[in-house]
Amino acid sequence: MSVKKFVVGCFDDEAVLFPAVKKVRKAGYKLHDIYTPFPMHGLDHAMGLRDTSLHTAGFIYAITGTTTALGGISWVFTKDWPLNIGGKPHFALPAWIPITFELTVLFSAVGMVLTFCYLCQLAPFLKKHHFHPRATDDQFVMVIECNEKTNEDEVKSFLAQAGAKEINVQNAETGWWLGRYDKDTMPFQVRKEKTAFE
Amino acid sequence: MGLLRYESQTRNPLVTGHKTYHQVTEDIVRPIEAKPSKLWKIGFTISLFLLSFGAYSVYRDVVYGIGQWNLNKTVGWGWDITNFVWWVGIGHAGTLISAILLLFRQGWRTGVNRAAEAMTIFAVMCAGQFPIFHMGRVWNAFFVLPYPNTRGPLWVNFNSPLLWDVFAISTYFTVSLLFWYCGLLPDLATVRDRAKEKWRKRMYGVLSFGWTGSTKHWQRHESLSLVLAGLSTPLVLSVHTIVSFDFATSVIPGWHTTIFPPYFVAGAIFSGFAMVQTLLLIVRKVLSLEDYITLEHIEVMNKVIVLTGSIVGIAYITELFISWYGQNPYEAAAFRNRWDITTPLAWSYYLMMSCNVLSPQIFWFRKMRRNITVTFFMSIIVNVGMWFERFVIIVTSIYRDYLPSSWSTYYRPTIWEVGFYMGTFGLFFTCFFLFSKFFPVIAIAEIKHILKKSGESYKEGVGGIETQAPEEFAHEQAHAH
Amino acid sequence: MSSFKEQFEIPGRFRNISFALMAVGIVSVIVGFFMYGSHEPARFWATMLHNSVFFLLITNASMFFICATTLAMGSWQLAFRRVPEAISKCVIPLGIIALIVLLCIVLGDQHHIYHWLDKEHVQHDTILKGKAGFLNPTFFIVWTLLSIGLWIALGHKMRQLSRYLDENPLASVAEGKKYVFKSTIWSALFIVWFALTVASVTPWLWLMSIDAHWYSTMYSWYTFASSFVSGMSLIALFVIFLKNRGYLEVVTEEHLHDLGKFMFAFSIFWCYLWFSQYMLIWYANIPEETIYFKPRVQGAYRAIFFLNLIVNFFTPLLLLMRRSAKRNYTSVAILAVIIIFGHWVDFYQMVFVGPFKEHVDLNLFDFGVAAGFVGLIMFSTGRALAQAPLLAKNDPFFKESVIHHT
Repeated sequence: MSVKKFVVGCFDDEAVLFPAVKKVRKAGYKLHDIYTPFPMHGLDHAMGLRDTSLHTAGFIYAITGTTTALGGISWVFTKDWPLNIGGKPHFALPAWIPITFELTVLFSAVGMVLTFCYLCQLAPFLKKHHFHPRATDDQFVMVIECNEKTNEDEVKSFLAQAGAKEINVQNAETGWWLGRYDKDTMPFQVRKEKTAFE
Repeated sequence: MGLLRYESQTRNPLVTGHKTYHQVTEDIVRPIEAKPSKLWKIGFTISLFLLSFGAYSVYRDVVYGIGQWNLNKTVGWGWDITNFVWWVGIGHAGTLISAILLLFRQGWRTGVNRAAEAMTIFAVMCAGQFPIFHMGRVWNAFFVLPYPNTRGPLWVNFNSPLLWDVFAISTYFTVSLLFWYCGLLPDLATVRDRAKEKWRKRMYGVLSFGWTGSTKHWQRHESLSLVLAGLSTPLVLSVHTIVSFDFATSVIPGWHTTIFPPYFVAGAIFSGFAMVQTLLLIVRKVLSLEDYITLEHIEVMNKVIVLTGSIVGIAYITELFISWYGQNPYEAAAFRNRWDITTPLAWSYYLMMSCNVLSPQIFWFRKMRRNITVTFFMSIIVNVGMWFERFVIIVTSIYRDYLPSSWSTYYRPTIWEVGFYMGTFGLFFTCFFLFSKFFPVIAIAEIKHILKKSGESYKEGVGGIETQAPEEFAHEQAHAH
Repeated sequence: MSSFKEQFEIPGRFRNISFALMAVGIVSVIVGFFMYGSHEPARFWATMLHNSVFFLLITNASMFFICATTLAMGSWQLAFRRVPEAISKCVIPLGIIALIVLLCIVLGDQHHIYHWLDKEHVQHDTILKGKAGFLNPTFFIVWTLLSIGLWIALGHKMRQLSRYLDENPLASVAEGKKYVFKSTIWSALFIVWFALTVASVTPWLWLMSIDAHWYSTMYSWYTFASSFVSGMSLIALFVIFLKNRGYLEVVTEEHLHDLGKFMFAFSIFWCYLWFSQYMLIWYANIPEETIYFKPRVQGAYRAIFFLNLIVNFFTPLLLLMRRSAKRNYTSVAILAVIIIFGHWVDFYQMVFVGPFKEHVDLNLFDFGVAAGFVGLIMFSTGRALAQAPLLAKNDPFFKESVIHHT
């Protein structure tokens, strides 16, 4: 991805955060993201994010599971190797319902979790830039993206007025990289070192 | 959507003490960062000892075969399947708490769901051992999987409830694990961001998948949790239902009865909650989490126990009644082997009845529900009773065969059957001790989510709303946004 | 400060429709009595039994809903709590009608419906003879009286507790806690009695004994699931009706969403019980048990059997799955009607296959009687709604319900 410049403001009270989001959007600043220690209901709408359609994906995976189970079992028991089991018909639908149900749930759950991890770019050994270490503790960290025209001091004072407690400017990589949390390696630093070496 | 976070003062707070968000993190993460206590070490050692005894018993099973168990010509399923059903049953409370109670929006579940889910996963792991080793030639266990093979290709029998079990248990294990781990991600990130030691940073860095707490991620996380809860709810029901099908699809009197599926589910919830009580009463004490697992939580769970205990009681009596009402001599005989005190195993039936149906009735009294000693004692009694329920269903239905000549054998387990069972306790507690040491036992993010609504100090602030006229309140809320 | 529209006035059209439906019902009963009364009394009494028991159980489900939510310390339902309260009041007239019908059948010796009433036949039937300790008129009548009587009495107590707060608002939080405790106790008593009746003995007597030789331990729980999901649909219908009329200001889409969830979830639950009962009997294939499903699956009732499954499971499953469908007044209303109709058909096949194995004779008479009961429920619920304020606004949890959101 790329390195960008951000103004970071930390809030410690959600009652201040919500009006601040409104103000920031009204002022026309580009809201990069807000990092919170727990899910804030309604914050996504306040930020203008669209609803997720993860559940639709879940539904599609579920139907895939249903079809796989019913299709697979009926092929095995009516075409591939029909067996007489307890005098039941070859197409013994009631006896297939349990497995069909289980596979429906299994496909849906596994598919959704994988989709979730893919969409959020979550995986072991991945590292991302953290704007504030206490964003997972008790701080609501609002991050505003700057471009070449942005006046950082203006944004900073704006955030201070909106109620942010701790404000600073950070250069950060927006994507993920493979990295460890016990070392502060940043991909752009690595790249710089490399160029210096060459 | 109004921003007001309000909960009536009529409800007791779910988080006591004057907590801030940071304090919540501190309280719950502290045990992870501290050195393990003496109690923890003793407990862990005992668990490891039990586990190794179990491992040795299982080793003997594999080497000598299950002939070293006392299963005989009519009792083909004995302690092994009893233990299997018992552990699966215990494995139901976790997903029930996190899934069904999430859908029912029961706020109190936030204090207990994480530990209960972990318990679920470990219990299912224990349960799975029994059918696998019961197979005898355990190295052929993969035959239960449907895959194209060189034996025909001969497929597994999809019509068999035993195969349904394979699918049900493995699906349940997978989905519970995913559900649990997805919930853990943000909390592991919390531990990671607080860590001082290098190894800790590194380990929790890997475990937390690079979670940042981005709003978009939270939004997807919420949606994921909700759908997983929606999927897990019928899944929980289906798993014990399918376990009950193992018995109920047969034509054996005492096993074949249509009430089995819902009644097994109720029993599973019953025993699962009892096990949650046992574990959490210890955990809250040892890790001093009394502010998060309050008497309120314990009381509510005791209510669930008396409810499900009574449902199970109704099912027992229904079965007993229908065994007479059906006027089927075989059915009547099977039940005679339970209720008639002159029969050799009747004691187990009465033990089951008194542990599961009679004794939980003391939870009708509020004083008893809020008494920790009574609760702890009862939680163990209930699980003894639930073990005997499975024993009664399995063994008393088959120990007297259709041929009176095979009646003489009285089934009692060998030391290796008992050892296997003890071994699963070892596995269960070893896992649970490790979990309580390395993972947050309470869902930190979820507690923070309800803190300003149900936390003690925040509830004191809504007195104004309590006295407001309802009309005025409704009017204000309608125009709040 | 605005005040709530608390006084429900029965709209003229609503009243007229309810009267018209009741008239249709009465005419149907009279015509049916003369058509079938003398030469095929079983046909007449089966219809009466089917309708009176079905509508009694679905209205009684309202009180179960109130008690269950009270025990769970729920608050979301308080915005419309007076609706299930009003519906549960129908248990009084419907209970009396059901009692009369059941007494007529038992005392009138209608052994085409209940075989076990035929004393001579029972003498030669070892199985029925063995069951005589349970299946006999005395026990039947005593239990029926107790069932209906205690539903009415305990339901009345629950309504009284709720009404009491209208005149006597709670003064303090401590008093609120006391009130919650008291209603918890009465709810628990109702639930216990409900478990002993609807979830066990009563359906065995009223319905399962129609197929007197057959038995299934699941039967009563199945009956409960069927009546509960239709009962929830009935509550949803009245809530939507009142909302459309401009009442129940504090009820929002959020409450509707939860009602929709109940309809959705319990349709699945019903199917779960249906499947468990059917599959276990199909799988074991014991003639004594499969005899119940033989005429239903392979005989004259085949169409109804599959219709039952399609209407009561697949329709709500597919149509109520989406969040938007559960939040839309029109779609929830349509689904509620479908579900009630579907379970009415379910009860039809529970009652009718016993006495009429050979052919399905569902005709205008059945629909006419059903219309009469619908009219009676409308009339009685409407009256009950008009008698009490529409909002239980002094309940300690009422404000939680106002700000309820999913």
